[in-house]
Amino acid sequence: MTTVIGVDVGGTFTDLVLHDAATGEIRVAKQPTTPSAPERGVLAAVDAAVPRDLLARCRHFVHGTTVGLNALLERRGASVGLITTAGFRDVLEIRRGDRDDPYDLSWTPPPPLVPRRLRLEVAERVAADGSVVRELDPDGVRRAAETFAAEGVDAVAIVLMNSYANPAHETRVAELLAEAGFAGPVSLSHEVSGEYREYERTCTTVVDAFVRHRMGPYLHNLDHELRERGFVGELLVTRSGGGALALAEAAARPFETILSGPVAGAAATARLAASLGLGTAVAADVGGTSFDTALIEDGRLPLLYQGEVVGLPLQSPWVDVRSVGAGGGSIAYADAGGLLRVGPRSSGADPGPACYGRGGTEPTVTDAALHLGMIPRGRISGGIELSAADAARALAPLAGLTGIDGVDAVAVGVIRIAAAHMAQAVRGVTVERGVDPRGSAVVAFGGAGPVFGCLLADELDVDTVVVPPNAGNFSAVGLVQADIVRSAARTMVRPLDDAALTAVGDVARSLFERLARPGAVREVDLDLRHRGQEHTLTIPVRLGEDDPAAVSARFAEAYHRAFGHTLPDPLEIVTVRATSRVVLDDERPLVPAPPSGGGGAGTTRLWSFRRGAWTEAPVVRREDLTGVAEGPLLVLEPTATAYVDAGFAVEAHESGCLLITRKDRP
Amino acid sequence: MTIVRTRYSEAHPGLGDGADPVTTEIIRQGLNAAADQMKQSLIRTAFSPIIYEALDFAVAFYDADMCMLAQAPTLPAFMGTLGFCVHEAVEGVGGPAALSPGDVILYNDPYGTGSHPQDAAMVVPIFHDDVLVGYSAIKAHWLDIGGKDPYCTDTVDVHQEGTIFPGVKLYDAGRLVSDVYRMILANSRMPEMVIGDINAMVAGARTGAEALAALVRRHGLDTFRRCVARMYAHGEALVRGWFDQLPDGVYRASSVIDSDGVNGTPIPFGVEVVVDGSSVTVDLTDCPDQVGGPVNCPLPSTVAAVRIAVSFLAGAGEQPNEGHFRPLELVTRLGSLFHPVRPAPCFMYGIPSDHAIELILRALAEAVPESVPAASGGDINALVWWGNREATGEPWADGAPHPVGQGASRSADGASALMYISESATRFTPAEVWEARNPWRIERLALAEDSGGPGRHRGGLGLDLSFRVLEDQYLTSGLARTALAPWGMEGGLPGRPNRLTVEYPDGRVEDFSLKTRIFLPKGAVVHLRTGSGGGYGSPGERDPEAVRADLREGYITHEHARRHYPHAL
Repeated sequence: MTTVIGVDVGGTFTDLVLHDAATGEIRVAKQPTTPSAPERGVLAAVDAAVPRDLLARCRHFVHGTTVGLNALLERRGASVGLITTAGFRDVLEIRRGDRDDPYDLSWTPPPPLVPRRLRLEVAERVAADGSVVRELDPDGVRRAAETFAAEGVDAVAIVLMNSYANPAHETRVAELLAEAGFAGPVSLSHEVSGEYREYERTCTTVVDAFVRHRMGPYLHNLDHELRERGFVGELLVTRSGGGALALAEAAARPFETILSGPVAGAAATARLAASLGLGTAVAADVGGTSFDTALIEDGRLPLLYQGEVVGLPLQSPWVDVRSVGAGGGSIAYADAGGLLRVGPRSSGADPGPACYGRGGTEPTVTDAALHLGMIPRGRISGGIELSAADAARALAPLAGLTGIDGVDAVAVGVIRIAAAHMAQAVRGVTVERGVDPRGSAVVAFGGAGPVFGCLLADELDVDTVVVPPNAGNFSAVGLVQADIVRSAARTMVRPLDDAALTAVGDVARSLFERLARPGAVREVDLDLRHRGQEHTLTIPVRLGEDDPAAVSARFAEAYHRAFGHTLPDPLEIVTVRATSRVVLDDERPLVPAPPSGGGGAGTTRLWSFRRGAWTEAPVVRREDLTGVAEGPLLVLEPTATAYVDAGFAVEAHESGCLLITRKDRP
Repeated sequence: MTIVRTRYSEAHPGLGDGADPVTTEIIRQGLNAAADQMKQSLIRTAFSPIIYEALDFAVAFYDADMCMLAQAPTLPAFMGTLGFCVHEAVEGVGGPAALSPGDVILYNDPYGTGSHPQDAAMVVPIFHDDVLVGYSAIKAHWLDIGGKDPYCTDTVDVHQEGTIFPGVKLYDAGRLVSDVYRMILANSRMPEMVIGDINAMVAGARTGAEALAALVRRHGLDTFRRCVARMYAHGEALVRGWFDQLPDGVYRASSVIDSDGVNGTPIPFGVEVVVDGSSVTVDLTDCPDQVGGPVNCPLPSTVAAVRIAVSFLAGAGEQPNEGHFRPLELVTRLGSLFHPVRPAPCFMYGIPSDHAIELILRALAEAVPESVPAASGGDINALVWWGNREATGEPWADGAPHPVGQGASRSADGASALMYISESATRFTPAEVWEARNPWRIERLALAEDSGGPGRHRGGLGLDLSFRVLEDQYLTSGLARTALAPWGMEGGLPGRPNRLTVEYPDGRVEDFSLKTRIFLPKGAVVHLRTGSGGGYGSPGERDPEAVRADLREGYITHEHARRHYPHAL
C-alpha cells in the first residue's frame, strides 16, 4: 500500500484527498482556488492538511489542474507561429464552416489562436498514401524562422498535409527551424495526434504549443515547492482521457490534460462500480453549476477520441462525461412565453443561491430544495446559515409569471424540471451506447447528487441508487486511484485482413516505443468501420492472437449493441491506438470511511414527490443508520444529504455506501 | 390563376389551457432530446458522407394531427417541411386507418418532400396502447435513386430526376416488403450506399419512435396531449411577442435568379412581407410561371424558406415546433416558380428557396435594420463528383456544399467562410479525408484576400479551393448566384459572386455555373471561388485601425486599401 495525495483545482475550490497507507485513512480538505496563481491554493491545501512527515512518505502526488483550460479560456498563452503546407495556412481559421448555433444569423467564430500573419506556408506536399509529391523547400522554413524571430514568437506548431501517413517533412521542418536559430518549443502534428482531419489536428497542435508555455513552468514550479516541503515521490497530472501522466510527459503533452476535472468523478464511479459488481452504473454528479454524467460499463470508463473545449476540437482521448447546466446553483426563470425554465445560467459561487443570504436574489435549484425540506435548514459547511425565508422570497415571483399556484408548486416544478434535465443527459449517454438505463444503478454524488437520487431513479425507471460516503467530495477520491496512462494513435486506412493486422502490429510497436515505461501493461485498440461508412467504433485487439474473423466478430457485437442491427459489409481499419498503463496500487481503498457528524438528527417537514404532499419525516445521521429504513427520510453526513422519498428504502452497505432501493414504482 | 394561402390553424384550441406548465416544459425538453437521439443515431450509422458529414437530412416528430412536435437542429432548409411529406406518405398507403405498429413508409415525391427524389423520407407511425399518437420521420439525401444523372441541373421534367416512391410500405407490420426493397436497389447506381443509408434511416426512425412512445408512457396520453397543446401555444406566444415589436407595414424586395439551368434566361422575382400586429404574411406571387429548367421550388420548400427567414429573426434560439409557425401566412400562386405543379422539374429547388430566404430578410431590413446583415455568398455551392476508380473499376461518388463569406451587419464585420444559412449546421469535409477517399489532390484551401465587400463593416471572405483530379471523372456544378454580386447595405459595397473554373490539361479554361456531367480528364484542376459577404455602411467610415489590422493580417492588400479605404493610410 502506498500513500497518495490527490489535489484537484476546480473553478471555486481546490480539493485535496489523502490516502494514508499506514492507517488506511482517507482524508479530504478544501481550500479556495487562487485563480491568478493556482499553485498557491494547492500548496495552501497541502500545508493545511498534510503534515511534513506524511508528505515525505507520500509516493505519488496526483494533480488535476485547470492551468491549460484557463489559458484557453482567457486566451493567455504563448505567441504561437504556425507552419503549414503551401495553400493551407487558413485551415485554422476556416474550421469546418459550421456554426455553434445553426439558427444564429450573425454567429461569428472566435478568433483563431494564431493570427493570420503568423501562419506561414512552406512549399512541400505528401499524398494520402505517404508518397512525396513535392519535395520540401528549405528556404521557406528559413524565411518563416526570420518572421517568427522578428515577431517574437514563443512556440511553433508544424502541421503539414497528410503527415499522419509520412512525417518526414514535419520532422525536417523542425530541424531546419532549429538550424535557423529558433530555440523555443516546437509541436509537430504527427507527434501530437497522428490522426487525419487537418483542421482538428492543426487545432490540437496549436493548443499544445499555446498551453505548453504556461503548463511546463507551472508544473516544474509546483514540483520544486513540493520537494522543498520534503516530498520525494512522483508528481502526476490527470488526463482528459482518464489516468495520469508523469510530470515530464504532462509538460510535453499538456493538451492531454486540458479537461481532467469531471473525469475524476467518473473514475471514482468506475472503480466503485467494479468493486460492487454493478454491471452498468450511471455517474450522477450534481455540483454547483452543472450535472455531469457518464456511463460506466463493467467498471470501464467510456472513452471518446476527440473532445472539444471552448469551441476547439482536440484529437486526444477523452472520457465521455456529459455536462448539462442543471446544478444546485442553476437559476430558475419564467421565459417570454410563460413557461418555467431551469438553467443553464447559474448563480455561481458568488453570490450563490438566495438562501445563502449573500446577496443572491434569483431563485435556484438549491432554494427550491431547501424550501421543500430536501436539505436540512440551518448551517452548512463553510459556516453558511441557510435561510428558508430568503429562498421562499426568491421563488415567489415565479408563481405569478408562470401561472403556477403558489410557492410550494413553484419549488416542486423547479426540482422536477432540474431532474428531467439530468435524466435527459443520462438518456443521452446511455442510449447512444445502446444501453437501456433501466438496468443500471445510479451512483449519486457531488454536493447535491444525493438529493436527486430518488427523483432520478423514478425519471429513469431505475431501482438502485448508490450514495458513496463523503459524497460531496467523492470526485476527489478518483484522483488517488489514478493509474499512469499514456497513449498514442496513428491513422492507417486499409481493409481489415491478415496483412493489415501485421501492419497494425508494426504501427503499435512504433507507437509503444514512445510510450515506454517499466511495468506497463500494453493495450491496442482499433478504430474500425464498415467500408463506406465514416464513423468508427473502437474495438480492443490482442495482437498475435486475434485473426481478422475474431476482430470482425467483436466489432459486429459492439455494432449490434450500439445500433440494433448488423451489416454484412467488409470492415476497414482507420486508426491504431496504443495505450500503456501502469497500475499504481491495487490495494488503495475504494471509498473513504464513512464520516461522522453532519448536524442534528430529529424530524423535519419535507415534501414527498411520491405522495405529492408535505409530510413529517425522520432525519438520521449516517452513522446512526442501522438496518433498513423506509422513506421518506433524510440521511445526513457532513458533505451531503440523501433525500429518500416514500416508496424507497435505504440501508448502510458494508462498503460504506448508502444503498437506496426502490420498493415500488410510482 | 389560383392564389394559395397556407396557414396553420390551431390544433385543439383551448386543450392546453389546463396543462401543468412544469410537465409541459418537461415534455418539451423530452421531445427535443428524443429528436436529437434520432439524429445522432442516423449520423453514426449512415453511409453517405452527404448525410453524416453534410447533415443533409431532417429528423422530426409529428403528432397524430401531423403538427410538428420537435425537429432536431440539422439543415434549417428542411425546417418544418416534413409535415407535408408525413401527410402525403400516410395518404399514399391508405390513411391513418391503414397503419399498424411496425410499419415504415417510404416517400420521395418531390411535390410532397419539397425537394428532389434523392431526398427520401421514412415515416414510422407511433402507437400507444393501439392508439396512433404520432410519427417519427427522417428525410435524408440518398447518393442516387436513378434519374438521368446522379445530380441534375438540366432536367425538363420531374421524371428525369429520379424514381418516385409515392408513399409505399417498406416494412409492413415489421416485415420487410422485399418487392419494394428490390425496386429501390434496381433503380440506384450506388445500391450498396443506398442499402446502408436505408438501414440507418429505419434504425433512426425506430429509435425515435421508441423514445416518443416512452415519453407518452411516462406521462400518459391525456397529459401528453394537453401539454403538447400548451407547448404549441407557448411557441406561438414567443414568436408573436417578437412580431408585435415589428413596426406594422408592407416591406418589399426584389432580385434576380441567374438562370433556370436549361434556357439560360435570368428569372426576376419579388417578395412582399406584410406585418400586421403579431401576424406576418409573406407573398411570393411576384414571380414567373413555373420555368422549363429545374429551379422550381415545390410548395413545402417555399414554406420552409419563409419559416427559416422568420425563425432566424424571431426564434429566440429555440428549437421550433408547430406553434412557432402559426403566426405566419404564405401566399403563393399555383403553377408558379414558388408553387409549381407536376411535372415541373425541381431538382435544384434550393436555388430559389435559398434566394428567397435572403430576400425576405432584405425586405425586413427596413423594419429591423439592427438584425439584418448584407448579403452573403448566397448559395451552398454544391459540387457532385463521380466516376469509376482506375485500378478497380469500382464506382465512386461524393458531393458537398461549400462555405461562403457572410454579410457585414450594423454591428460587425461578416464572418468568413461559413456554410450558407440554410445549411448552417453543415460541416465541410477535411481535405485529408477527401484525399484518402477520392482521386483528388487539394492544392489550395484558403481565404480569398480582398474578397470581402468593402464597408464601414467589411463582408466576410469567400473561399478559394482547388481540386486537382488524379483520375478521369465527372462533375456536376450546382452553383447559383454566379452573376449577381452579394449586395451591400447602407452604402456598403458588394462582395464577389460564386465562380467555378475548370483548367484542362491542354491549357483550356472554362467557367461553369449550373452544369451537369462536366468531364474532367486526369490532370484537370477545378477552382471553386465561393462568394463573399457584402459590406455594411460606407467604406469611408471604416475605423482606420480596423483597416490597418486587415492589412497586417493580410485579409486585404495595399492596393485594395488604397482603392476603398484611402482615409486609413
